[in-house]
Amino acid sequence: MHFEIQYRPAHSLATAHLGPGESVRAEASAMVSMTRNLEIQTDGPMGRGGLMKNLKRAMLGGETFFTNTFTARGTPGHVTLAPTLCGDMVVVELQRGEPLYIQGSSYVASPDTVEIDSRWQGFKGFFSGESLFFLEAEGTGPVVVNAFGAIETLDLNGDIIVDTGHLVAFSTGIDYAITKASRGWIASYLSGEGLVLRMSGRGRIYLQSRNPNEYGGAVGPGLPPRKG
Amino acid sequence: MQYHIEHGPAFAWLRVGLGPNERIVAEAGAMVRQSTDLEVETRLNASRKRGFFGLIVAVFVALLRRLVGGETMFVNEFSGPRGGEVVLAPKLSGHIMRRTLDGRRTLFVQTGGYLASGPDIDTRLRFGGLRTLFGGEGLVLLQCTGQGDVFVNSYGGITEVAVDGKFVVDTGHIVAFDGALDFRVRSIGGAKAFLFSGEGLVCEFTGRGSLFIQSRNMSALRSWVIPLLPQ
Repeated sequence: MHFEIQYRPAHSLATAHLGPGESVRAEASAMVSMTRNLEIQTDGPMGRGGLMKNLKRAMLGGETFFTNTFTARGTPGHVTLAPTLCGDMVVVELQRGEPLYIQGSSYVASPDTVEIDSRWQGFKGFFSGESLFFLEAEGTGPVVVNAFGAIETLDLNGDIIVDTGHLVAFSTGIDYAITKASRGWIASYLSGEGLVLRMSGRGRIYLQSRNPNEYGGAVGPGLPPRKG
Repeated sequence: MQYHIEHGPAFAWLRVGLGPNERIVAEAGAMVRQSTDLEVETRLNASRKRGFFGLIVAVFVALLRRLVGGETMFVNEFSGPRGGEVVLAPKLSGHIMRRTLDGRRTLFVQTGGYLASGPDIDTRLRFGGLRTLFGGEGLVLLQCTGQGDVFVNSYGGITEVAVDGKFVVDTGHIVAFDGALDFRVRSIGGAKAFLFSGEGLVCEFTGRGSLFIQSRNMSALRSWVIPLLPQ
């Protein structure tokens, strides 16, 4: 199985090329097109199969991370995948024992040699309103992540402050702590930066050049109020 | 101060390298990442005046900017004794341009276009005439004065036009222009054109100076989206 990325950086599209019997897991609703020999299976946050368990989780307001697994039957095949927003995609090669933490909405696809754990709760419960949902990807093989805008790959050796709205993914070896964006907590709130992380250690950080929430905040005013 | 505009024209951001105690002011929420050496000071988006009365005026001005100008009510100032790096990003897709003011020249910026500026740049709200208040394409401008750099973001690509004489631009496509240019907002053609041409209001520039226009229009995007929203 291998990935190919086209139309970078503004409107990138990922193609997963599959050999007979090979499969790829992708974020639900990302599929654009596929060859006819592909078989689809949907996985929810509670794993494969358990429809009632997954429904219950969705009803209870937990994170609902659904993926589709495409498997090529008999002959080679391919599936093309696109994220919702405009922007770049990159392929990150994982080694065993070196997991990657991916912002929920930045995950695109990975083969079955990579485990995706959506129950990792590293960031949850810090602030109301802006809880972060991260996935832990571990195994050997490529993972495709997408960005809103361009992607910057930053090799960290030391520390840095990062706006969570611009964070796509980060590797193992990096510690993080919620910190103040400005001098005091009130100023931090007024600074408009929202949740800011102080990241330290040695590893890699992937950032996106646009913030989906800020974009929504710029386009939203002027639209009629949503009903219901 | 060093600066780099990267990832343009579609998703540009501004990477600023500050020397010891150098400062940059940025609109609230623009920070992507910064060195831990830099301190952030959050203040009202208004020129600093002394005393209690000055504070009241500043709050009023910042509120007006938020409500009328579509700007942020607060701005953040980054600086540090050892200097450092800060990356700033606009909200919309598009490019970033820099204009350096020498203390005499001024720059008019379409509100929402302001991203960052040097510490000695002052900004004030200006209205492009009463006629702009209807039609939804109000021309509310930010007048930048002082000495230093002003960084402006656009929606789409930026074209520089060297105006010498007269030039007409749709108000929704203005990014910035030199203070040396005279401008007048008017409807294109007569009442019929105003209602049906789809061009709304235009700005007519006269004189000599640089004009910067953007390849996309925010209010055009909104009017395209609104009819598609569920009732």
